[in-house]
Amino acid sequence: MALQNEDKLEVGYSSLQPKPKKWVLLMLRLLAFFATAAATVVMGLNKETKTLVVATVGTTPIKATLTAKFQHTPAFVFFVIANGLASMHNLVMIMGDLFGQKLDYKGLRLAMIAILDMMTVALISGGASAAAFMAELGKNGNSHARWNSICDKYKTFCDHGGGALIASFAGLILMLIISVMSIIKLLIKPKPDSTTVVP
Amino acid sequence: MIKPKRLLSLLLRFIAFGTTLAAVILMATSHEKGTFFAVSYEAKYTDTPAFKYFVIAYAIVTVYGFLVLFLPPGSPIWRLVLALDLVFIMLLISSISAAMAIAQVGKNGNPRAAWLPVCGQVPKFCNQVTGALVAGFIALITYIILLLYSIYNFLNPLFEKA
Repeated sequence: MALQNEDKLEVGYSSLQPKPKKWVLLMLRLLAFFATAAATVVMGLNKETKTLVVATVGTTPIKATLTAKFQHTPAFVFFVIANGLASMHNLVMIMGDLFGQKLDYKGLRLAMIAILDMMTVALISGGASAAAFMAELGKNGNSHARWNSICDKYKTFCDHGGGALIASFAGLILMLIISVMSIIKLLIKPKPDSTTVVP
Repeated sequence: MIKPKRLLSLLLRFIAFGTTLAAVILMATSHEKGTFFAVSYEAKYTDTPAFKYFVIAYAIVTVYGFLVLFLPPGSPIWRLVLALDLVFIMLLISSISAAMAIAQVGKNGNPRAAWLPVCGQVPKFCNQVTGALVAGFIALITYIILLLYSIYNFLNPLFEKA
């Protein structure tokens, strides 16, 4: 009789288990991985070369080749590194979710996932925000400091940078939702199960 | 008698409130007149949207820190404080990252874009902005320590099983 009751309790509990939530989290992580990877790749390959006529000696014009690369700005370098790290994090989490369900360290698996997610959110927000303000400076210039805007000369560079920024912000919002879901998973997981002995 | 845990948390929150207030005040009162190629102009924090964002973000967190200092220990609002801590840490990181990106360009310039560094003409402004950024960094690290401490206290039953 008691065993039957326990069985009923187990079945009732497992039917209440949030099964669709596992797939939702995985899908969100996949989307965030694609967004941050796209931001990394687009900004990492961001380069534009322009040849300008600088002076004319006699009849031959002297051309100068100027390049705009993402490495010229430390903010964009930070952006690429931050988004690269975030996409690595998402990849590792996806692999861990799919293939490593049994991996655990003293029962702290969910806590480690939640803390790492929070760290990644902080990293992406820092990188995206620095790059966004540098891009605004490049687009509008700053009249007080006599800095001219560069977007009218390097239009493709600015367009690609803008696209990478949008992808990164989308990745940031997705990572924020993922982080909240990880924290909720951490907090509502039933800690005492039927096999542990309560002292 | 105040418990040591509560005392430590209160001390950390007070340090965080103090440093955010210092960052806001240092950045908001930074202005200096300088000459730039025989044209005189004044450098203020409102010249760049990044510095304005820094002041606004840190002002919001200062008010929040002030309000949390007066929260009684037993109330259930502490869970909301835990969540808000995370949100405000994200805001702080974003604003200090933006301010540092612009400040770096102001200090070193960007020769490829023909952007000249400004710090040679207005050194006092640059020093004050640097001070504000340092205070902002200390506030950020204090908030991160606070968040980890709150999570550790909240999850203590889970850690005891390990």
